[in-house]
Amino acid sequence: MTPLHFEALYQAEWRELETLLDRILGRKKNAAKDGAPVEGQRVAVLYRRACEHLALARARSYPAYLLDQLERLTSDAHQVIYQRREFGLEKVRCFLDQEFPRSVREHSTYVWIAAALLYVPTFVIGWLVYQRPELILSVVSAETAASYERMYSDSATAIGRAAEGDWMMFGYYISHNIGIAFQCFAGGLFAGVGSLFYLVYNGAIAGAIGGYLTERGHSGTFYSFIATHSAFELTAIVLSGAAGLRIGHSLVAPGRLSRVQSLVAATSDSAVMVSGAAAMLLIAAAIEAFWSSASWLPHPVKFAVAGASWIGVLSYLAFQGRSAD
Amino acid sequence: MLDTVVAAETPEGIILELHPAGLPARFYAFLLDWLIRLVILYGFAIVARFLGGLGMAFWIVLLFLLEWFYPIAFELGRSGATPGKKTFGLKVVMDNGLPITPAASLTRNLLRAADFLPFGYGFAIVSMLLRRDCKRLGDIGAATLVVHQPHAAPRITLEKVEPVAPVRPLAPRDQAALVALAARAPTLTGERLDELAAIAASVSGDRGRAGGAVTHRVLGVAQWLMGRRT
Repeated sequence: MTPLHFEALYQAEWRELETLLDRILGRKKNAAKDGAPVEGQRVAVLYRRACEHLALARARSYPAYLLDQLERLTSDAHQVIYQRREFGLEKVRCFLDQEFPRSVREHSTYVWIAAALLYVPTFVIGWLVYQRPELILSVVSAETAASYERMYSDSATAIGRAAEGDWMMFGYYISHNIGIAFQCFAGGLFAGVGSLFYLVYNGAIAGAIGGYLTERGHSGTFYSFIATHSAFELTAIVLSGAAGLRIGHSLVAPGRLSRVQSLVAATSDSAVMVSGAAAMLLIAAAIEAFWSSASWLPHPVKFAVAGASWIGVLSYLAFQGRSAD
Repeated sequence: MLDTVVAAETPEGIILELHPAGLPARFYAFLLDWLIRLVILYGFAIVARFLGGLGMAFWIVLLFLLEWFYPIAFELGRSGATPGKKTFGLKVVMDNGLPITPAASLTRNLLRAADFLPFGYGFAIVSMLLRRDCKRLGDIGAATLVVHQPHAAPRITLEKVEPVAPVRPLAPRDQAALVALAARAPTLTGERLDELAAIAASVSGDRGRAGGAVTHRVLGVAQWLMGRRT
């Protein structure tokens, strides 16, 4: 069979598939507008036919334009047919209801290790700096220490930002803090050492600043500012760090898989935990921007809400989705 | 693009050829995306100035969303590519040619934090240059691939050439070579076409000769092989 004969014989089927794909993908404006639903079965049949034709055309070394046309057609149809629809409210509900907290508990060893790596330096360094405030200078520069002090001094117009003109900087500062969580996750790619480093390092920095500000007598402003969003932010950092450690572990001890296979498996395994952490960070950013920085709210209100947030987050992770429905 | 093809087999038993995008194409796409985000942020910052404190709060949330979720939102959309990637004809797919899954999109974009390091996407660049499939670290972890969208190949237009029957039987390989030559004919200069046709001159019984008439007959054989008889 010559290429032209082949083309003439099957052209109609390819055209039909092409039009159906155009309609599904909304590639052509006028094609998308006629409302009739696309018949899935017909697409599948035409797709399999096109696959046969492509195999034949390849085996017979047909000209490049014919192969190209068939390759584009089959790969477009392949994308449409094997598309995975993982969105929708039901999916989100299932994720929040069961998948996320279950995944956290499933990886509890990593979570505890990550929590220890973050919080132990926080409290140790915090205590040290509280005892000897001059130690802050070995962690951050004098300038940074002074700017933190200005930011959280009781007279600041809005807590957490030095002056009205600096709010862009404040934005970067918040987004940097949130970026830490993702660094703790991504650091896992370096055999887990990155996650380890970022957890300990950021724990130490946070501890130093906390200890310093407490010692200087700004504890009321400082803690009322951070208490609420830290329930989400610090927990998300711990979870991201745990996911990072999971990835690092998979690289160090891949078992019977190759290292890359083991990495891919670990990444998809920790994706649930990381998605949950990302959602928590989004909440943290919103709280930080709208609630924490509002200086007109009295401290007791903020502390009450903060306490409720901490209890809520921790008990959600500990108890949600335990019953097997 | 020829030596970096990644083959992905579908359940129907055909091989889809994926063409991984190299560093330059991905760099341009990244640059464009970066500019788009910058324009949005600055535009919103101007609006936010008039709204005061609340505007600032929204701006901060927007900053966070754009920095981390801009690529994810577009990759999970219909085109599977950010506007920058789309402009340069790129697309993100799974290793096996399937559309990208939400989990993979999320991980490949959050692992970006490792690609940044040690500065200016250093590890991403090294990884993309070392690997045949041009993956950055995030792509390795999430098992994804950034590929070129295929272009349409030009149709063969030889309407004016009379079909000529070959003087000897031709193997499938030779037939394919002749047809491929015919497909390229419009893009070649006359002299180069004559040179190439002279190599294949034996198919029309013109062995050892060259020139416009020979080329015409060789293309005629290609026409005949395509299935035209009149």
